[in-house]
Amino acid sequence: MDSVAATDTEQAVTAAFEPRIIAFVCNWCTYTGADLAGTSRIQMAPNVRIIRLPCTGRIDPLFIVKAFERGADGVIVSGCHPGDCHYSSGNFHARRRFAVAREIMGFFGIDTGRVVFSWVSASEGRKWSEVVNDATSQVRALGPFTAYRDLAAGKG
Amino acid sequence: MRELIGLCQKLLRDGDVKVVIGYEEGPRGVRPAVITDPAGCERLVFDHRAVHNLVAYLSPRRGHLRDLGRAAVVVKGCDVAAFATLLRESQLEREGAVLVGVRCGGVYRSAAGSGPLDEKNVADRCGDCGLREPGTVDHLVGELPAAPPVSGRRAARIAEIENMSPAERFAYWREVLADCVRCNACRSACPLCVCERCLADKTDPRWVESSPHPRGNLSWHMARALHLAGRCVDCGDCERACPFGIPLTLINGKVGLVMRERFGFAPGEDPEVPAPIGTFDTDDSQEFIR
Amino acid sequence: MSNEKTESLFITDADLAALASDLIAAGTRVVAPVPSGDDEGRTHYRALSSADRFALDGPLPCGSLKEFFLPPTEVLLRWRRDQGKVEVDPAPPDAPATVILGAAPCDVAGPPVVDRVMDWDFRDEPWFARREATVVIARACPGRDASCFCTAVGLSPSSTRGADIMLSPTGESGGGHAVRVLTDKGADLVKRHRARFGAARGAAGAERLAAEAESRVAGNLDIDPRAVRSWLAANFDHPLWRRLADRCHGCGACAAVCPACHCFDIVDEPDGTDHGARRRNWDMCQFSLFTLHGSGHNPRQTQSARIRQRVMHKFSIYPERFGEILCTGCGRCARACPGGMDLPEILRELQRLAGGKSTAGGA
Repeated sequence: MDSVAATDTEQAVTAAFEPRIIAFVCNWCTYTGADLAGTSRIQMAPNVRIIRLPCTGRIDPLFIVKAFERGADGVIVSGCHPGDCHYSSGNFHARRRFAVAREIMGFFGIDTGRVVFSWVSASEGRKWSEVVNDATSQVRALGPFTAYRDLAAGKG
Repeated sequence: MRELIGLCQKLLRDGDVKVVIGYEEGPRGVRPAVITDPAGCERLVFDHRAVHNLVAYLSPRRGHLRDLGRAAVVVKGCDVAAFATLLRESQLEREGAVLVGVRCGGVYRSAAGSGPLDEKNVADRCGDCGLREPGTVDHLVGELPAAPPVSGRRAARIAEIENMSPAERFAYWREVLADCVRCNACRSACPLCVCERCLADKTDPRWVESSPHPRGNLSWHMARALHLAGRCVDCGDCERACPFGIPLTLINGKVGLVMRERFGFAPGEDPEVPAPIGTFDTDDSQEFIR
Repeated sequence: MSNEKTESLFITDADLAALASDLIAAGTRVVAPVPSGDDEGRTHYRALSSADRFALDGPLPCGSLKEFFLPPTEVLLRWRRDQGKVEVDPAPPDAPATVILGAAPCDVAGPPVVDRVMDWDFRDEPWFARREATVVIARACPGRDASCFCTAVGLSPSSTRGADIMLSPTGESGGGHAVRVLTDKGADLVKRHRARFGAARGAAGAERLAAEAESRVAGNLDIDPRAVRSWLAANFDHPLWRRLADRCHGCGACAAVCPACHCFDIVDEPDGTDHGARRRNWDMCQFSLFTLHGSGHNPRQTQSARIRQRVMHKFSIYPERFGEILCTGCGRCARACPGGMDLPEILRELQRLAGGKSTAGGA
């Protein structure tokens, strides 16, 4: 195989860069909390697209990988606080899985600053807005995840 | 060694097992042996070149050996750990195989190794082995040799990678994985890769691209690492199987460290020990979650 | 194999490195065996970024030259969907001007064998674009180890099949190679770099080394491919196949490293919701899914059926259809196999079953 001298192709942050962030959230807690943030008219960065799942236990770490493959600059994963899972133990399983996934992704060079994990309950609209705003500014500072996008088939 | 040969011959003659899976001298060094007649047991060997994890041949995915009937497998402690994991996952039944344990003093990194075992040619996992005399086997043969030398090689490499910036790591793996052509030797040789239909072969939806471009390769190796977390026994057969020498044990080694540090888990021979992934503790650490 | 075109020259080691540098500087992709830097002392065929690293005397590179003619993954076309309309763009084949430098004869003989199927019922343009864009400089081999068996399949460690230029070590203490220019393409390259080549010498030494290498390899395996081929054609249901697959893991390592294997899979991969690429990827006949039909039926459901197919394709079916053995005797499959499958061992058994007469050096 050709010796690919891969370079870090992440571009310098420009004022125009707006990160694209995908959020995988559980229906019962975080999704409801996000809804509350909305109805409370809390101002939030508009960079986050939410994907609703029944439970964080449903979140396969490959969802996070897929999000980066498809052009996300950052990912948020959020659900019920441990002990409050609508399905009792889904988030306990998820917690272990996420811990491992984070370490593996980090080992392969995905900056762990690009993946934000949180527990946000249905009543924590304000917390959700903070997660969103902080994640957005954190990922904006890291710049676009062009290194992952450059893996795209055409440049492989 | 006579004790091993005699035992295996007896197992076949008595009809306890229909096949013995062990190690034999092949044209290129030691290789797996599949023996169905007592006379054939004369071919059995066991020395530092017995690197392969033969539990792979018990895999439910391998129909062509299952049809022979009950097997006796020559196992080292690390191989027993794979068997224990498969028992834990109900992939195998304990009575399905007779485990012929061998007291082990370590193996080479490669089946073609030679000379005295030293810190350069010893397999990375041998240094901290706690299973040199496996206890959950049906038979245990051989004298306990001296403890194997310790290779610090892998720990040093993993530390090197961890000291890189994320961008450097990303570039490192992109280059290393550029050699991967998705031959799946790593998966096929792995005793723990037992899924009848691997996630990476599913097309509806396509979670892991089959193309050997950087995107597909990264996704495959991450997915495999994730699916082996807490299950890999660090036998190293994946890396030995890779025709292009991709250092896969760096990945599994890192995941093993995570299992140890976060969950206090190390591969062992007791199937009753709960799997670290698939179980949980209500106060698992969550310092990375806000 | 000599003809009027064959010109004999000599090149020193320094000039060979300089030739590589000149080619690289001119923008040519130069592919040569290079140490991979691992602990096992492996080498790979790699595109050189400089002439420093090539290692002509190392072990046989892990992979064959196949990837430079049939990449492990290749885009065939791209599509884009825009409001119900789909635009399809065939991707032009990626065929950079390439010089392969110092490849083993078993590797160099692979592409001509595969040419036959690539131009059979459909001309594979990307394959031939790369064949045409590539000049092959082979290097006579000393015979690497006990798994080599090029002589058993009609080749030899100094075979010039598929080579445009042949370099032969002469055994002289100063190093250097005797050079034979074999084709017009080879002659053209030499003409463009004439200063690097000197007057012919060392032929006697080269021939002596070649003879030694040939006898070394010939001692590894001696079969009559015609007898094996006939036996295979007549013994599809022989009990041999039943147990041959016992230690096979069904991985694709053998096909991955083989100079002659060329099967591929075609996949459509989206890069987004509205665009993507159709790709051709290496496929391996030992995969259980290789012949799985959409209906769920798999005509090769067992590993023994797949092993049988592999051996038959190489030594019976391809020879019948194209008059070529689909194997160059490089021995990589035996070296790479994690389960200890050994093709020379299998061939020896087939020869025994065929009761064929051994002929020196194969048919």
